[in-house]
Amino acid sequence: MRRKILFLIGLTLAGASLRAQELLDTKRKFYVNQTEFGILAGRVKYPNLYNGNQEQVDNKFSLTVQTFNGIQIDERFATGITVGMDWYKAALLNPVAVGFRYNLTKKSPVKLFATADVGYGFTWFHDDSEGFDTKGGLMINPGLGLKYGRKNGAAFTIAMTYKRQEARVNKPVLWDQTERSEERIYNRLALRLGMSF
Amino acid sequence: MKSTPLHILFVLSAVLFWSCNDQCKETRVTRRFSTVTLSLMELRTLVKTESPRLMEKPGKMYVKGKYLFVNEIKEGIHIIDNSNPSSPKFVSFLRIPGNGDIAVRDNILYADSYSDLVAVDITNPSSPSEVERLKNVFVSGQFEGGNWVVNESVGSITDQNVDYVTETVTVNCEENVSPNFWWGGMLVFADRAFFGSAASSSAPQSAGGSSGQAGSMSRFAIHNQFLYTVGQNNLRLFNISNPKKPVDFKNINFGWGIETIFPYQNKLFIGSATGMFIFDNSDPSNPVQLSSFQHGRACDPVVVHDDIAYVTLRTGTACAGTQNQLDLVDVSNASSPQLIKSYQMENPHGLSIDFPTLYLCEGEHGLKVFDVADKFGVDKHQLAHFKDMDAYDVISLGKTLLLIGKDGFYQYDSSNPKDLKLLSKIPVGKAI
Repeated sequence: MRRKILFLIGLTLAGASLRAQELLDTKRKFYVNQTEFGILAGRVKYPNLYNGNQEQVDNKFSLTVQTFNGIQIDERFATGITVGMDWYKAALLNPVAVGFRYNLTKKSPVKLFATADVGYGFTWFHDDSEGFDTKGGLMINPGLGLKYGRKNGAAFTIAMTYKRQEARVNKPVLWDQTERSEERIYNRLALRLGMSF
Repeated sequence: MKSTPLHILFVLSAVLFWSCNDQCKETRVTRRFSTVTLSLMELRTLVKTESPRLMEKPGKMYVKGKYLFVNEIKEGIHIIDNSNPSSPKFVSFLRIPGNGDIAVRDNILYADSYSDLVAVDITNPSSPSEVERLKNVFVSGQFEGGNWVVNESVGSITDQNVDYVTETVTVNCEENVSPNFWWGGMLVFADRAFFGSAASSSAPQSAGGSSGQAGSMSRFAIHNQFLYTVGQNNLRLFNISNPKKPVDFKNINFGWGIETIFPYQNKLFIGSATGMFIFDNSDPSNPVQLSSFQHGRACDPVVVHDDIAYVTLRTGTACAGTQNQLDLVDVSNASSPQLIKSYQMENPHGLSIDFPTLYLCEGEHGLKVFDVADKFGVDKHQLAHFKDMDAYDVISLGKTLLLIGKDGFYQYDSSNPKDLKLLSKIPVGKAI
């Protein structure tokens, strides 16, 4: 799975750099960077073991940072690689993804853009507690954003996206158990502020 | 397009995601006990030979000549013709309800059947027959963490059946409770603690008559004219000078949480939850306790070579230990055993010694092979670590190594301990 994704990322890069060669001839800007930080907001509903299994809902907020480095293919469309870090409460994940940015509007001073990242969250920097083994998983992150700034210049961005991150945890067994593992799906609203140039 | 409608569109899209919920499902496999009452009268009619069947929950193993006896926990014994280790053949299945341990003298196989000791004539392994039964010689026992007790007054056994239940529950995605070791231990209880482990190529069990070889976690041992069995808190002797007519001979109560017995030369090494007991057995009819080597609470198979006892302690057993280690104990003075050195291990189970090679099962961490010639530097002489197997028990027969794990029964060519060659494998749940 990871290999496939890395391969996909490689392909995208190769494709983008070829395209960049062509773009060099025109005067248009071709390198795009968008660096953002924000929060991943979500909720979780679960039966609370310590309270008679009554259903409980908790709010969740995690910090996220990411940077997109890509190639402006044409006036609207840019593609590249997104690398980030997400501090979930029980997992520190590093998504590496293929990213797409598409300007939905051309002329207005405030541009609406669509954003999408698809990749894999790695656990490179996650440190497991004794007996736990956390593995990352697929990540998708589509959404919309607004860009305030000059055409082809530096801009301020705000983005609202949906982020789905999978993970799997093997856990040490408790009372009378012989196996214990958890499938995690983080479904979050990602609210991000950033700069692009 | 003006920016206001853009903003509205933007905010609307956000609302779609607003109700995002993390979904976390924890899957657990849990052991469940259900209590059943069995009639002794009926159980005693059920010993019979059946056609070979698949291994499902293999327990202890025992080797005698070219035959292998593999216990199917609580069900009976697989009799396997192992004259060609590369292709073992199931001969028959001897059904013995409540069976956990095996010992063989000449052509007579001794097996426990809940409270009874059964002697079975295996002259013809394809159709063994019960020749003798000693009733109510064992009072209680344990299989896979479930306890049974006999009620002699009504002639019943109260047993706990074990089921493994898979359940999936919703959790809050962050519960990171570390398992408390004590509980962790109590739980994992059965990780087949009473599973056969195997040991001793030094073939301690023989001497007088021909017996086979059991494991380091066996509760049965044969020495001279006696069959020694250990219960939770006793040592029971049976006189088998006439193998077909075992006689209940003596009962010695001591300690508690006793797990294993390993006879070596004229001593008995008994592993319990609290330590290792050493009995002087120079008069086989009258074992005398010489000493006990107390360590933490952890149970442990023991094997012995010369003056050194190799004791493993692990967590996740009925004994709820907090250590995972291999202890070398000097037993040259059996009245006062002294620790030589402790070595950290991952999760040691059964072990077997073919001096100077020590085979040590590490459960899901595989099998480790050590050269133990240097008793202070065992960890520096790890010959090999085979990780791609699940190892619970091992018996070294010199050139061959028998290994049993969750997923099956393996035989290896161990003429070069650094490079074990797989001869055959009997997977659990499959015929060969």
